[in-house]
Amino acid sequence: MPQDVPQQTYDAIVVGSGATGGWAAKRLAEAGLKVALLEAGRAVSPKEFTEHVPAYRLKYRGHSPEIERTRAVQKQCYACMEYNYEWFVNDLENPYSTPADRPFSWQRLRIVGGRSLVWGRQSYRLSDTDFKAASRDGYGDDWPLSYADLAPYYDIVERYVGITGAAERNEMLPDGQFLPPMQMTCGEVRLRERAKAKFGRTLTIGRAAIVTQTHNGRAACHYCGPCERGCSTFSYFSSPFTTVKDAVKSGNCMLITNAVVSHVDMDNEANQARGVTYVDRLTKETKQVRGKAVILCAQALESTRILLNSSTREYPHGLANSSGVLGHYLMDHVAGGGASGTFDDFNILPSANPPHRPNGIYMVRFRNTPTSGKHPHFIRGYGFQGGSGPEFDMKATGMGAEYKKAVKQGSYRISLGAFGESLASWDNFCEIDANLKDAWGIPALRISMAHGKNEAALMRDAGVTAAEMLEAAGAKSISVQTSFGIPGMAVHEVGTARMGNDPKKFVLNAFNQAHDVKNLFVTDGSCYVSSACQNPTLTMMAITVRACDHLIDRFRRSDV
Amino acid sequence: MGTYRPDSNLPSPAPGPTSPLINRRDVIRAALLAGASCALGPALSFAQTAVPELTPAQRGWDESKNLADPNWKPAFLNDGQNETLIAVSDLIIPATDTPGAKQAMVNRYLDLVLAGEPAESQQKFLDSLNYIDSESQRLFTKEFRALTPEDQSDLLRPLAYPLRPSHWGNEDHPDLGVTHFDRLKSMIAVAYYTSEVGQRELGWDGSFTHGPFQGCEHPPTSHK
Repeated sequence: MPQDVPQQTYDAIVVGSGATGGWAAKRLAEAGLKVALLEAGRAVSPKEFTEHVPAYRLKYRGHSPEIERTRAVQKQCYACMEYNYEWFVNDLENPYSTPADRPFSWQRLRIVGGRSLVWGRQSYRLSDTDFKAASRDGYGDDWPLSYADLAPYYDIVERYVGITGAAERNEMLPDGQFLPPMQMTCGEVRLRERAKAKFGRTLTIGRAAIVTQTHNGRAACHYCGPCERGCSTFSYFSSPFTTVKDAVKSGNCMLITNAVVSHVDMDNEANQARGVTYVDRLTKETKQVRGKAVILCAQALESTRILLNSSTREYPHGLANSSGVLGHYLMDHVAGGGASGTFDDFNILPSANPPHRPNGIYMVRFRNTPTSGKHPHFIRGYGFQGGSGPEFDMKATGMGAEYKKAVKQGSYRISLGAFGESLASWDNFCEIDANLKDAWGIPALRISMAHGKNEAALMRDAGVTAAEMLEAAGAKSISVQTSFGIPGMAVHEVGTARMGNDPKKFVLNAFNQAHDVKNLFVTDGSCYVSSACQNPTLTMMAITVRACDHLIDRFRRSDV
Repeated sequence: MGTYRPDSNLPSPAPGPTSPLINRRDVIRAALLAGASCALGPALSFAQTAVPELTPAQRGWDESKNLADPNWKPAFLNDGQNETLIAVSDLIIPATDTPGAKQAMVNRYLDLVLAGEPAESQQKFLDSLNYIDSESQRLFTKEFRALTPEDQSDLLRPLAYPLRPSHWGNEDHPDLGVTHFDRLKSMIAVAYYTSEVGQRELGWDGSFTHGPFQGCEHPPTSHK
C-alpha cells in the first residue's frame, strides 16, 4: 500500500488551502512550525488559466450542458463558466439539503486555493462600528476584539497581498496599506461628486486584491478583465501562487492534496485534538494525520461540518460544542437592492478592446453611522458596489444595418447594487443531515437560512437611495431594484462557530481557539459574530494571522 | 525561535511538471495520462480511473474550428429550418462594411446550442421559427425562405420594434409576432456578437492588453 503521509506528528495541521488556510500555513511554517496543509482537491497549475481565451473558442461560448448536468448549484455563481467549471465542486458528488422553503446556494471549490482562485477580490476593513454594533443598537453580540486589535494584522495582510485602493478618511471604512488606485470613469467621478455634494456620502474606487504595480514578485494588472479564469501574471491575489507557495518553500510545510477531511480525532483523556482523519479523494482510502494543533480553514460551513461530524462521548452534539451554538448564527450578506440608469450626455463609445478594469466603485455605508443617527425602519446598513461606463446595446430595437450601428453606439450606463448586513440569528443554521452523505461517505449538511425583515428593509432602502443618487448625478431611464437573492448568493457565508469570551455562548475565544478544546482553532469566516456589510475575506485573513501569531507564541512557551 | 526552527527532515513536495505545488499523486496521474500507466505497476492502478479534471478550455482546445467544417450538417434543425434561420439571421444582422450573421455562421452555432437544450427550449425556438413561416404563408402564400429579400424584410420589419396599441382598435394578440421575433433576435445577436466576426465588429483587435485602464481626465464637475 503506497503511503503518502509519513507517520510523524506535525506541529500544526491546517485544513483548507484557500485564503485563510494559505495564510495559516505560511505564517506557521515561516515561524518554524512543522505544518501539514490538507486540501480536499487537486493541485492547480497556471497552465489551466483561460483568461486570454476568447469565448468563440469554447464550444458553447460560456455555458455548456455539462455545467447544467454536474453543477446545478455552482452555475448560480457568475464565475462558474465553461472556461473553469472543473474548479468548482461537482454537485452530484457534494450534496447538501435545505428545507423546501429555505433555499441556500452553497458555491464552493475544492482545489488548491479554493475560492481564492475565483473570488471577487474586493477587500475592505471592518470598523469599530461593526465590531461593537451590538453595544450601539442592542441587537446580538459584540465581537471579542476591537479594530485596534486587528489593525496591525490588516496591515500585515495588505502589505503582502497588495490591495489597490484610495484613502478616504471615513470612519466607517478604515483606510489601509494601499497600492495606487485604479482610475474612475467619467460617470463614476460625476456620481462621486454629486453624492458627496448633495448627500455627504462617500464613493470611492473599489479596494481590490489586485496589484497595480509590481509587488512581491507579482506583475501589475494588465487589465484583460476576467480574473476568475486565472491570471498569467498573478496580479490578483490567490493563495496557491502566494501564501501556499511560500509555506511550501519554507521547507516546513507538507501540502497534502486530495485529502477530504471527515473529522477531527480526539484524545479524549487529555481533551485534546490529536489530528484529523481524511478520505483520499481518488482512492477513497481512509488516512490519518497527527498534529499538536488543528486549525480549520475549510470555509465556514465546511469547518462547521467537520466539527459536527467529530462528535465524541464528551461532545455528543459536535466537537467543541458544549455551548450548543455550533452551526447557528449563519449569515450571508443580503444583495440585490439598487438602481441603474444611463448618462445620455456622454459622447464616449464602448469598445471590445482592453483595458477592462477588473474592479468597480464602492459607496461607503451611510446608514446608522455614528454621525447619521438611527434609521427609523432598520438597524445596520449596506454598502454599494457598481460601476459606470459605455456598454454595447444588444437590446437595441430594429434590425439590419441600423441595428448593427445602434449596438455599437451603445449607451453610457451606471449601476449601484447593495451588499447589506445579515443579522446573526439562531434560526439560521446548519446541521448534519442524517440521511445524506457525499461521494466519500461523509455525512452532509442540511442548511436552513432565510433573510428576514431587517434585510428586506435594507434592500428596499438601497433601491430608494441608489435611485436618488443617480437622479442627482443626472442619470436618465432609472430603474430600481428592491428584491434580493437567496442566502448563499453573496458567497460571504460566515458565523457558524462564533467567537466571544463566554464559553457558554460562543464556540471560539478571541484568538479563534475553541473554548472546549485548547489545541483546536477555527480561523475562517465561521468565527464571525456579526456580518457587517463589507466583503469578508480581508478580515478573515487578518484574523487568521492574529490567531496564528497567538498559536506561535504558545508554542514558544511550550504551551501546546 | 525557540525549538521550532525550519526542519530539513520534512519531506518537500515532489517537483511537478508545471508547478511547485503539484504533488506526487498529480505527477502519477499526469504520467498515466501520457500513456505511461503500465510502467507504474498494478499497485497504482486506482489512478487509472482518474480523469483529467480540466475543462476543454483549460486543456487548450479550440472548438471554434468545428463550425467551419466543410462537411457540416445540422444536428438539431432540419434543412428547411436551417435555411430559414440563415435568412432571418442575415436580415437582422446583414453584411455591411463588416460581415453579417451568415458569414459568422450564426445558424451553425445556434444549431449546436439547441441540440444540447432541453426539449422545452427547443420547442420554443421552433415555435418562433414556425411563426415566421406561418406569417409568410398567410401574407405571401409561400415559405419564408422562398420569398424575395424585399418581401422577407417587409415581413420582419414590423416585428422589430415595440408595438403600441393603435387608437383605431386592437388586433388580437398584437404582441405575439414581436415576442417570437425578439426570441430569435436575441439568440441571433448573442451568437453573432460572441463569434470572432462579431468581436471584430465590436472593435476587438485581437489583443488582451493595452496598458493600464485610463479613467476620466476631465477637470472636476465638467464630465462630458
